[in-house]
Amino acid sequence: MAAGDKQHRPSAGKAFAILASVFALLFGAVVALLAFDQYRVLAAAERLQHEAVPEIIRFQRLARNLDQLNHEGERLFSSPSAADRQQALFLVMLVASHPSILEYPQAAVMARDAENYLVETNQLAARDPSTLAARYPEWLRLSQRMRLLVDDISIHGANLASADLDNMASTMRTARLKLLGALALVGGFIALLIALLRKHLIRPLQRIDHALSSLDVEQPAPQFPDARLAEIHAVEEAAGRLHKAMVSNEAARRELELLANRDGLTGLINRRHFMAGAEAEIRRAQRYGRPIAVALGDLDSFKRLNDTHGHGAGDVVLRTFAGLLADSVRQSDLVCRYGGEEFAFLFPESSVEQAHIQLERFRQRFAEHDIRLPDGLLVRITLSIGLADASHCPLEIALQRADYALYEAKRLGRNRVIVAAEAN
Amino acid sequence: MNRIRALALIAALFSGLLQAAELKVAILVQDTAQLSMQGDLLPSGTPGADLVAVTDELAREICRRINASCAFFYVRLADILPGVEGGRFDLGFGNFLRSPEREKRVAYSDPLFRSSSRLIGKPATARIFATRLGQPVSLASLRDARVAALDGSQQQAFLDGIADERALTVLATATTAEALNVLRRDGADFALLPIRTGYALISRDKAQHFAFVGPAVTTHGLGDTAHIVLAKQQAALRRAVNKAIREIKADGTFQRIMHRHFPVFLD
Repeated sequence: MAAGDKQHRPSAGKAFAILASVFALLFGAVVALLAFDQYRVLAAAERLQHEAVPEIIRFQRLARNLDQLNHEGERLFSSPSAADRQQALFLVMLVASHPSILEYPQAAVMARDAENYLVETNQLAARDPSTLAARYPEWLRLSQRMRLLVDDISIHGANLASADLDNMASTMRTARLKLLGALALVGGFIALLIALLRKHLIRPLQRIDHALSSLDVEQPAPQFPDARLAEIHAVEEAAGRLHKAMVSNEAARRELELLANRDGLTGLINRRHFMAGAEAEIRRAQRYGRPIAVALGDLDSFKRLNDTHGHGAGDVVLRTFAGLLADSVRQSDLVCRYGGEEFAFLFPESSVEQAHIQLERFRQRFAEHDIRLPDGLLVRITLSIGLADASHCPLEIALQRADYALYEAKRLGRNRVIVAAEAN
Repeated sequence: MNRIRALALIAALFSGLLQAAELKVAILVQDTAQLSMQGDLLPSGTPGADLVAVTDELAREICRRINASCAFFYVRLADILPGVEGGRFDLGFGNFLRSPEREKRVAYSDPLFRSSSRLIGKPATARIFATRLGQPVSLASLRDARVAALDGSQQQAFLDGIADERALTVLATATTAEALNVLRRDGADFALLPIRTGYALISRDKAQHFAFVGPAVTTHGLGDTAHIVLAKQQAALRRAVNKAIREIKADGTFQRIMHRHFPVFLD
């Protein structure tokens, strides 16, 4: 990987750490907002419990006491006996003296007015009970004022609670929205995370997996789109290097195989490789009933050439022979250096007659070919060939027949092609 | 088997005895006839019997709630605070108002109810004083008078505080009934009493000699919340008593006790 790539491509750990940090910050902010709302709800609940509810109870108590006062006032007017009126008056005084009334100025004034009026009424009634009826309308007016005050106080108490409850409800609604927002944020982040994982991790890994699974020296090197994550890019590059190494190894393997199967001097396949290939070709031809022929060839008087002109001259002759063969036989035919100056041939899909024609043509061509030896001398070498049909017998038998035919060709004066059947 | 049962019974009884604390409870009387009475043998018809009964019932209910075995002592107000302070009593039921001086000496329970103070006197006396003062009689305007108050009460402490300035003669009485007797005998012009006590006494006064005079007062420590007093070091007991008070108020027991003895419920 180039240094520049490393600089502009973030590592997966760093990228996901940044993502996690951003998420933690956002989520933390939402949690903080929710905590603030919770604090507001708790504060409102505490206010409700310690301020509003005691206040409500205070107002309820005040309203109840004013009602009680009103009730005792009514009793004073409705009581037939002076003793009962006095008892009612005592209760009016008791209630009017209660701190719950005294601490509320409007109620205290009203209670004092009512008490004074009732005391005065009781005194007048003690002398003349008929004054009760005369003074009752005014009491009704006072009583009505007290009832209105009771209503006002009750409503005020209820409003105290509803203000805090409204505040709590509003906060809870806001908190619910924030909670939904938090859920959406978490959902969005997970979706984004999955999308990013898919785009920058899963898909590239799938591509790498596919590329590695189908990595082949016959195929071009895998190509990847530009990866954003350094680790993925490194793996992709490694896959490319792996392909390159595979191609290199394959070339080396082929080179070694060539060295193992070929004759080093002539470049023809060696005897071991020929035998393996020929066995397979003969089995195939015999399975499908196709014609096939084998031949053994031997350079005439090669030993004498070697003895006369040295091994270097012999090598030149052998290489020249192999070079002419390459131009004269079909791609499908097999030719090997069988040993020394002896060569073996296999002609798949060729009858003995066809192979004979081909071999005869080559024998003539070789015999007429001038070979320049290392010392500058031009020589011509002839070739004797024994040919046999291999379509109905094993390779060894066919080669044995071809060998007999070769022997016959030598015996008959060399430089000729003898078909095994003729020899037999 | 019988031996095991006997042992278990003894263990249960023993643990129960350990659990139930032994408390000495002082209850305020309103009349000397109620002093040193035994349990529920409250002399009927004595002045302020309703007040003693409601205090007694309340004290027994709280004892039951805190799982305490209580011994009750019926005493004067002046004996309760020193008794609690000195450890002779664990709980003092006397509807004690708060004051800085008291706060130094004893601890307070949560409030039982709220109270105020008001002058009591004969209407004729009130009219004479109104003429003399040139305005209706009130605690703020009262001068040159003999005023009775319960010995050891906030009312007495307040009157003592303004006595010289207002030329008042303060007559401390052992009980509230005695304060009324002093009034009845014209030994005092007025009595300054807690409103609930005042009501309980004058509403039962057959001759109906007395009336409330002037407005009720809650300032100068003469009104606000009334409490049970405890020794300062009895923090656990105070917590237990407060819990019992909360419970009896929440389940309506407190209201029922009050209603049994008073025609109106004023908390």
